[in-house]
Amino acid sequence: MAKPSHAERLELFRRMLHMRRFEEMVIRLAQAYEYTGRQHLHIGHEATGAAVAMAMRAGDKIHTTHRNHGYVIACGADPGRAFAEIMGRRDGLNGGKGGSWHLCDAERGFQSTSAMVGGSIALAAGAAFALKLAGSGNISFAHFGDGTLDEGVAYESLNIASIYELPVLFVCENNSKAGQRPSSMLAAARLQDVPAALQIHCELVDGADSDAAQIAFQKAADRVRETGKPVFIEATLERWPGSHQVKAAFPTGVTDLSLALNLDKVEGKHADWIKQSDPILRATRALIKDGVSDLVGLLEMDAKVNLLMEDARSFAEASPFPDASVAFTGVFAS
Amino acid sequence: MDESRLMNFRDAVLEALFLEMRADPNVILVGEDVGAAGGVFKQTQGLFDEFGDRRVIDTPISEPGAFGMAIGAAMSGMRPVFEVMFGDFMTLCMDQLVNQAAKVRYMSNGAARVPLVLRTTMGTGANLGPQHSQGFYAWAAHTPGLKVVIPSNAADAGGLMRAAIRDDDPVLFFEDRLLYNSSCEIASGLPIVPIGSARIVREGRDVTIIAIGRMVAFAQEAADRLAKDGVDVEIVDPRTILPLDEATIVGSVKKTHRAIVVDGAPRAYGVTGEIAATIMEQAFDWLDAPVMRIAAVNAPVPVSRSLEPLVRPDANTIENAVRAAIA
Ligand SMILES: Cc1ncc(C[n+]2csc(CCOP(=O)(O)OP(=O)(O)O)c2C)c(N)n1
Ligand SMILES: [Mg+2]
Repeated sequence: MAKPSHAERLELFRRMLHMRRFEEMVIRLAQAYEYTGRQHLHIGHEATGAAVAMAMRAGDKIHTTHRNHGYVIACGADPGRAFAEIMGRRDGLNGGKGGSWHLCDAERGFQSTSAMVGGSIALAAGAAFALKLAGSGNISFAHFGDGTLDEGVAYESLNIASIYELPVLFVCENNSKAGQRPSSMLAAARLQDVPAALQIHCELVDGADSDAAQIAFQKAADRVRETGKPVFIEATLERWPGSHQVKAAFPTGVTDLSLALNLDKVEGKHADWIKQSDPILRATRALIKDGVSDLVGLLEMDAKVNLLMEDARSFAEASPFPDASVAFTGVFAS
Repeated sequence: MDESRLMNFRDAVLEALFLEMRADPNVILVGEDVGAAGGVFKQTQGLFDEFGDRRVIDTPISEPGAFGMAIGAAMSGMRPVFEVMFGDFMTLCMDQLVNQAAKVRYMSNGAARVPLVLRTTMGTGANLGPQHSQGFYAWAAHTPGLKVVIPSNAADAGGLMRAAIRDDDPVLFFEDRLLYNSSCEIASGLPIVPIGSARIVREGRDVTIIAIGRMVAFAQEAADRLAKDGVDVEIVDPRTILPLDEATIVGSVKKTHRAIVVDGAPRAYGVTGEIAATIMEQAFDWLDAPVMRIAAVNAPVPVSRSLEPLVRPDANTIENAVRAAIA
């Protein structure tokens, strides 16, 4: 696969900014409204999520976990409706019934998102099965964390996908690096050893490196489309310090793109994460270094995204709570 | 030493674990984040420090396998307390629970036994949505071979956990998360509460409310309001739904001649139907009105703050039902 063009790299970055500014607004909304108990934000995973979204084509399907906000936004869902869902409002993506852990947007291929660890992987294999039978040429994406490989359903789904030759791209976000509090306990030396043993082609990518992720996911999706067989990508990520938020907070501050060129200014407890692991700042540096844009251009883009998120917030705030009858309807088709 | 203490639900269950783990080295705790992390609801804090990683065991996110391991260990001499973080995740344990734990004593003609507690949290009210708000106790009670405990207050929770750990059969122990911080006076030594005995929470003459778990507090709130209008409500908390203390429930209804059964889980094929039918069978001639049932609607639990309260009963629903029953 050719290296992404400047336009493609900028588009990836634009989506990453949407994801980041969306999540930052979620934190502000949580501080203002106490709308929900817990949030699992996608901050730090933007390069991976945006690269996956860009590898998707119309008609593809995706199933994600509780940590779904970034994917939903990267795929182009309306951020106002996503905020409204997280706030339990009428105009939410799921009409206020699902909330943060269950955002979905069928038009963009999001059929459901699961807060049961392991819930997404089997459904994604099922979507691949249907797409294969339909002969549409479309493929399915399964997003899950390293924790999913603890669950038996992961092994069964990988095995089934391999045996039936299902066109599914398994996207495993591994944020359990040695020395951090792990979200999985696996005896295998590397996560990929598991799918590899089941004869699934595997790739490893630095999930916070936007260029590497963009190339890896495009290549992997192409491979799934061409061969009709599953591919497993492990994207390694450095866990963002606020990744399990019970109380809404900005442990690494509000993202400031200009810090990318001023890393010595970064201090505090989580300075390392900001300096080395923040995919947004890493991408900012890379785009400037490669002459894709200058800082001013990126800041302009960022300002636009911020305005868009402000509008989206206003939309969600103006949305009323759902009509009471909604609670009792929609359990069955009729 | 013989003074009673004010203690909350979470701490009472934790104390029960300390007491039983000290008393019997075969008691072990197994679950996700139960070790050094102290539990995601702070419900296992301190156990790891005292008993170490041989008796307080963190598992991978592998509910079926880890639970099966606990059952096998129980059959082989241990007394595991297995923790399922959210009751919703129990579904992953269902095969091991229903086809193994519940059956092996019977199937082996008594040769095998499963002295094990499955403890889990449940309940609506925290905007956690459809996959994190369910209480599957009726499912469990439908399976012969499982005992099912649903404490409504701290003293019962602590005392019943002690009884559950000492029981020689699998006991499911359901804890409503919204009760964790509710406190009551607990007698010194955390007295054991026997499984299968109901508690008369409040005596009254006009109507019996049978309520479980957090619904007991709602029933008390409703009873306080009704008392102002001269309606005298009796409240019975079964505390364990299997075995069910039918005698206490039926005795109360024979006295008041009216019964309302309240449950926070969906109504269809649930606890209210079972208890209502028991009353009809055993106290039909004493009833002045049909037994009423109040339960959650047969729908998943929506996340929205505005929708979630609509699907489950509260003090208002109970109060209105009592007024209708005595009208
Ligand atoms: C079946 C099940 N077991 C346990 C949990 C509780 N839980 C929620 S998130 C989580 C960790 C998941 O780790 P991972 O899949 O790696 O995702 P991450 O949060 O690290 O992105 C756990 C154990 C759950 N939601 N579902
Ligand atoms: Mg993880």
